[in-house]
Amino acid sequence: MERTLHVLNRLERKGVLGRYAIGGAMAATFYAEPVLTFDLDIFIALPETAGGLLSLAPLYSALRQEGYAEENECVIIEGVPVQFLPVHGALLEEALKEARDTFYETTPTRVLRAEHLVAIALQTGRDKDLPARSRTTRRPKGYGPQGGFASAKAGHERVRLLREEATLDRDYLAEVLARHGLDARWKQWTP
Amino acid sequence: MDSLNPAIARVLAAKEERRRRLAALPFPEKVRAVVRLQRMAAPVLRARGKRVRVWVLDRAEA
Repeated sequence: MERTLHVLNRLERKGVLGRYAIGGAMAATFYAEPVLTFDLDIFIALPETAGGLLSLAPLYSALRQEGYAEENECVIIEGVPVQFLPVHGALLEEALKEARDTFYETTPTRVLRAEHLVAIALQTGRDKDLPARSRTTRRPKGYGPQGGFASAKAGHERVRLLREEATLDRDYLAEVLARHGLDARWKQWTP
Repeated sequence: MDSLNPAIARVLAAKEERRRRLAALPFPEKVRAVVRLQRMAAPVLRARGKRVRVWVLDRAEA
């Protein structure tokens, strides 16, 4: 995975990616016990094109030129299937902006904060603030019809895992939940 | 409410302790654990017709 992150860092330096951070199950694993996943979810800010459109096409093209092939919704980068999820909406934009800087072995990278992972899981089934779909329209695998978790159960499980095992900054979490109108759902899910 | 059978309570406590220990591992070690989980789960998922790819972490594995 270190070589995968090297590639992502290089793409970010070159401006092909605006900013990136690890999300999804691998980010949850950063804070809690290891959980099974087959994709590395990478949340990204895309540079706007001249026409103001956000498109994954330039990124896929750059990766193809480096010999990295697409497979389903992922690109296989140095042996790891990477799924790029362009951020869109207030919560995901904030999550990416405030992602935590860290190292994987000796390679710098970023991981979404645990509090944002909780908030994203809570948003399951809601239309707003979800990953933009595909290059422009294709839905990322593992995400449901509204772009959230494939099932409410998966979202609940993510919240449970992080609540029980991650060190959550309760004040920061409360602020995030309030800012994005998720306090009621938090109370409902964590009686 | 009935109290928990002591034997079951011990098993649950041991499980809890194991999860805490796993959660405290360094990130690269956790990623290696995820790949071990992938190796275990992949044959079952493939038998169900799901296409999955086990990650290659080291060039030597490729």
